[in-house]
Amino acid sequence: MSGLVTGGWNFVIAAYVVTFSVLFIYGVSIITRLREERSRAAEEANTK
Amino acid sequence: MEQSRMSEPFDAVPPMMPRVARHKVGGLTAALRKEFLLQWKTRTQFMAVFVFGATSLLLFSFAVGPNSEALRLYSAGFLWLGLLLSSTLTLAESYHAEMENRALEGLLLLPSDPRALYYGKAIANWMQLALLGIGLVPVMVVLYDAGTTDLLRLLAVILLGTAGLSAPGTLYAAMTSQARAKQTLLPLLLFPLIVPALLASVKATSLIILGDPMRQLPSWISLLTAFDALYWSLCGLLYGRVVEE
Amino acid sequence: MAAWLKNEICDITCFASGTAPHPPAAPSPRRAGRGTIESERMKTAPPAILLAIGAYFGFVVAIGQFHGVPGLALGLPSGVIATLAAGCGVAGAIWFLFANDQLDSWRPPQILIGLALVCLAFGSYYGLFVAPPEQFMGDVQRIMYVHVPTAWNALLAMTLAFVCAVIFLFNSDYKWDSRMEGSIEVGVVLAFLLCCQGAIWAKPTWGVWWDWDPRLTTTAVLLFAFIGILALRKFVEDPARRAIWSAVATIIAYVDVPIVYFSVRWWNSLHQQQSNPGTVSKQFWLPLRLNAFGILFLMVAFIMVRARLAALRLEHEMAPPLPEVAELGEAV
Repeated sequence: MSGLVTGGWNFVIAAYVVTFSVLFIYGVSIITRLREERSRAAEEANTK
Repeated sequence: MEQSRMSEPFDAVPPMMPRVARHKVGGLTAALRKEFLLQWKTRTQFMAVFVFGATSLLLFSFAVGPNSEALRLYSAGFLWLGLLLSSTLTLAESYHAEMENRALEGLLLLPSDPRALYYGKAIANWMQLALLGIGLVPVMVVLYDAGTTDLLRLLAVILLGTAGLSAPGTLYAAMTSQARAKQTLLPLLLFPLIVPALLASVKATSLIILGDPMRQLPSWISLLTAFDALYWSLCGLLYGRVVEE
Repeated sequence: MAAWLKNEICDITCFASGTAPHPPAAPSPRRAGRGTIESERMKTAPPAILLAIGAYFGFVVAIGQFHGVPGLALGLPSGVIATLAAGCGVAGAIWFLFANDQLDSWRPPQILIGLALVCLAFGSYYGLFVAPPEQFMGDVQRIMYVHVPTAWNALLAMTLAFVCAVIFLFNSDYKWDSRMEGSIEVGVVLAFLLCCQGAIWAKPTWGVWWDWDPRLTTTAVLLFAFIGILALRKFVEDPARRAIWSAVATIIAYVDVPIVYFSVRWWNSLHQQQSNPGTVSKQFWLPLRLNAFGILFLMVAFIMVRARLAALRLEHEMAPPLPEVAELGEAV
């Protein structure tokens, strides 16, 4: 396909938004899960 | 594992072979004998899987519509998809005997190489899938008007393609037969892996049925052969770790 | 730091000789309670040096060239600069990961995420607003400034998973199993992102959401293969079997990747000629490199956190039963 592709800004913004939001959501989810797991492990260690 | 002179019978093996090789080949022939015996005893199940394969070929034609041109064009794809779906049944079924009464542990206690067990089962599964494929060819010819006179090449492609399904399939079936959700897990693991074998088999079969003006068939067959060689060796190497306790 | 160095050398020689490393192979149940948040010193000096070298050649030089500051390249040809940037950056990041993911501290991931955000902010700024639009693709080209870095890092994550799987099969140390689980999950996220970005790129360029480009198709197959491995890990309860089986499956799936790529390329070449979405011309390297480092740091931070999560869960699974439960069992 040749010729100029115009008006692609919507797609660019969509790509960047999708990328950063997926990375952000994944990061938040694993940090939250690790926090919960660490507090559970610390609790167990204290009760033993 | 130490080789023991007191283990399985070596009557099938020429006595002049060196002892280590004799033992390995003896282990393999014993495993093969066990597998073929098992398959012969469960041959009604094989018939059921064949009917399943034939039904799926029928369903594919309903999905596409009574367009003979399109059906003939995609007949190779339908054949291999049907074979792939049927393979999940046969591969899972092949470990049924080992799962009963913890027979797998008993087999592993024998002084033979676990790789002999793997290759025995993989070869038996290969034969079963190849038979299935050969059996589905007439169904394909009738339903999709997709005949060919080049039967030797078609047989070669079916043998190579089913070999590519059987090697990783036997390894994964060993894992999934001992896991939860076994029905779903085997196709989930196997299907992405055998994409190259599927592509090559479909392309090769399609070229045989529809004609090969640009002589592409040898390159697809070499891709299939390379895939088979790689996975038959790799899976054999890794099988010991998969079934160890 | 001497103790750390001794530990690492011991680990590596033990791996090379196939013996169990010291400390013992099975995770000790006391690890979880051993330290408070900042109990162990962070091991940063050597990997930080490598990262600094990588960063210098990665973007300090490029920014200098961009703004016309001479002499930063130290007279080296651009191929060598690119290799040094990539090599030192990746090596430093992976070394940092292996040195710090067994700690209880939040500090290493925090540092990495901070650096990542800075790199991504600058990279996106350069990519979206400073770099000129490309000749044929117009502004859609800017998607490449996230797409190509994500591709590099997804492949890196999968390769890391493969390496961890092989090492685990040799020395049965469960920290490699946790690292493998972390790398697989992060790799799956990146591969999923890759497919989304590829589709978003393809729609304005080719008019369809999916054009069977060999690289993207291989990524899709890779995505499904590794999701399958994650499913395998979920459905197997015995930790030892789970670790060995998923390591074997990872090796098999990773070895398949080049074969899938070549077969799809052959398969596709009979139907269409296409431009590959990966080509970026020379003057656009800066935002690419900045984003690449950004996503690399983010990826390593995520793998660190996820591996730590996997290790904690494993310790919980393998911990001996509590005394009360054992007594209850006897009473019943």
